[in-house]
Amino acid sequence: MRSKALGAAALFLLPLLAFYGVYYLYAFGVLVDASRTRTSLSFTDATVVGWENFRLVITDELFLRAVLNNLLFAAVSIAAALTLGFFLAVSLASGVRLRRFFFTVFLLPSLIPLSLFATVFGRMLETDDGAVNALLGVVGIGPVDWLGSTGPSYAALFVLLVYLVGLPIMYYTSDLATTNTAVLESAMIDGAGSGHMYRLILFPMLRNTHKTVILSVLLGSFRAFDVVFFSTKGEPGGRTQITGTYIYNTMLGENRIGYASAAAVIVLVFALAISALQVLVTRRRAR
Amino acid sequence: MRATSLIGALVVALGLTAGCGDSGGVGGAGEKPATQKTAAAGEPVTLKYWTWFPPESTLKTTIAAFEKSNPGIKIELREFEAADYQKQLPLALSGGEQLDIVGVQVSAMTNSVHEQLRPVSEWEADLPAGWRDKLAASPVAQSEKIAKDGVLYSIPMGSIGSAIMLSNTAMLGELGVAAPKTMDELKAAVDKIKAAKPDVKPVVFSGEPYWQEEMLFTLSGQTAPTLSDDLLAGRKPWNAPQMVQALTDYKSLFDKGIFDKSVLSLKGNRPAELFGSGQAAFLIDGSWQSSMLSDIYRKANKISIADVGASAVPVLGGGQPAARAFAEGGLSIPKASQHVKEAAAFIQFMTMGPGVAEWAKDLVLVPTFKDFQVDPSVLTSQSAKDGYGAVIQVINGGGSARDSNQAFLNQVEGNAILDVIRGETAPDKAADHLQEEWSSGRYAAQ
Repeated sequence: MRSKALGAAALFLLPLLAFYGVYYLYAFGVLVDASRTRTSLSFTDATVVGWENFRLVITDELFLRAVLNNLLFAAVSIAAALTLGFFLAVSLASGVRLRRFFFTVFLLPSLIPLSLFATVFGRMLETDDGAVNALLGVVGIGPVDWLGSTGPSYAALFVLLVYLVGLPIMYYTSDLATTNTAVLESAMIDGAGSGHMYRLILFPMLRNTHKTVILSVLLGSFRAFDVVFFSTKGEPGGRTQITGTYIYNTMLGENRIGYASAAAVIVLVFALAISALQVLVTRRRAR
Repeated sequence: MRATSLIGALVVALGLTAGCGDSGGVGGAGEKPATQKTAAAGEPVTLKYWTWFPPESTLKTTIAAFEKSNPGIKIELREFEAADYQKQLPLALSGGEQLDIVGVQVSAMTNSVHEQLRPVSEWEADLPAGWRDKLAASPVAQSEKIAKDGVLYSIPMGSIGSAIMLSNTAMLGELGVAAPKTMDELKAAVDKIKAAKPDVKPVVFSGEPYWQEEMLFTLSGQTAPTLSDDLLAGRKPWNAPQMVQALTDYKSLFDKGIFDKSVLSLKGNRPAELFGSGQAAFLIDGSWQSSMLSDIYRKANKISIADVGASAVPVLGGGQPAARAFAEGGLSIPKASQHVKEAAAFIQFMTMGPGVAEWAKDLVLVPTFKDFQVDPSVLTSQSAKDGYGAVIQVINGGGSARDSNQAFLNQVEGNAILDVIRGETAPDKAADHLQEEWSSGRYAAQ
């Protein structure tokens, strides 16, 4: 009986495993293979260079900065999701007026292509004609050189990342719909204020959603290529660059595929390690 | 169970990985060129043509003219965006895509695809005798030299150069400003424009890191014409005194107020957009923007400026007008093509035949074809005629080649120049940093 069930499970899993094998394992194999060579996109003129590409990547200050930026942007996104995202989701679920309008405002950036969203945002950051400086000018601030100074560039990216809080709102909203409202009613009868309800009841109740949000936002930060590339482009001086833009920039030119592949392998292994660590920590806490 | 699954997965992974090492396949390095098929009389031949240039609308008109004069040949065109094409073509050719004609970005792509291309010597018998004499020698020689093995794989349609300066002649005329030839004259023009039209940006250009190299080497080329060539070839270190001077000079233009740091926030097509809408008086860009000299082009693209002129970038410190130029728009026949004769006929039409007059109307390239004359309907004003002449002159001026180490440019060089302009780094420190990175082994020297 048990072996029959296992057989059925394997049968159902087979297409997915085949898909995974072709699109992920094969791709990873190509990447690893290429990372130890100096080669172009045609892959016909490869020269084996051993681990040299890996040595060059990990000794590049720009790469290390890009990794740190990935983690920083992930931290900002997670903080925004667990605070602003949670607060907005609960507020919208409590039946505020113009609920649909606010949902649209917060979800739209997450629903349209990020490249388009970031391009429009990047255009808004122009020093002379950008909407952001025009707005600040009304209150006598600026003009700010958003792309020319490190602090403002980071600030601009943080705003962009915070505004992408739509996805966590969706996660929280769907989980809130299944929340046992009797608990909230009891709390209200016992005289709990809204602050207590948010902090001491709803936040702990959505513990599993927090985990989903943290993992998705964390891994999403490694795929934030379009957010950075189409807004600050890593400026100023490559200081807001992330690993995605680093790999893209180093790939351009002659015989660059091996080097870019080595960088990609390191990032992939790093992302997998973070995910594994996060899963382990979450499991330990759950026990 | 777990161990069995793990081993199974590993076997699958290893098997697949082992397969990755095979670089064979149609069109691979070791493969012989495809045998040429000869179409029977009256049998139509369809040629698959991939390129990124010229614009599709121009190319369709040119192809229609070719098909009209060659009724047995049809061209199946696929056009790409330039940066995307640099990745798509090498992958397609090494993957065995059966293409007959391919456009090759001479500087950026020759060495990434040449192993899948037929040398021109293999099919020059299908070109008219003495075909080289019909073309300017320099672009052909550049296309030959750029290949690692020194073999000619493509015939260049023309040349491009950068940087050049376009001017809103109508606006300048209104303000009584003459086309500036020196940076001091440009400074006087900028001051006049600022005073008379505060909403207009006097000078715009791209603030993207890659463009800073174009600006820097255009300026340095005025006094040190071979600096760019010397640095990229490793004949001079990046912290050579000429490079430090070039960085200092470029920064000085911002310090003097000739250029405004706010232009550095302009990305993509924004500078051209501002110029085209009359919100900027001067646009510093590549010769591919010469299209704006054409009244027909401006009307078709809803560019509101009444008249446009062009010139070399004004001279700083007593040098000569300069621009870096290179052959562009190479046309090649892949090894996989089975219709070499017909493909050669099309390349002949496009590079030394009636096709040149069709695509060159856009003025994006200065054609390699020696007998090319611009159609009188394209350049209607004197400033446009003079401007196009100035562009040709500066492109043929014999400066450094318009070439780059793209990864170095995008990751290090462009950002280092921007840091100098913004006062984040001193020119000598930036030059030392450039040399340190160049020799790190991270960016292969050309």
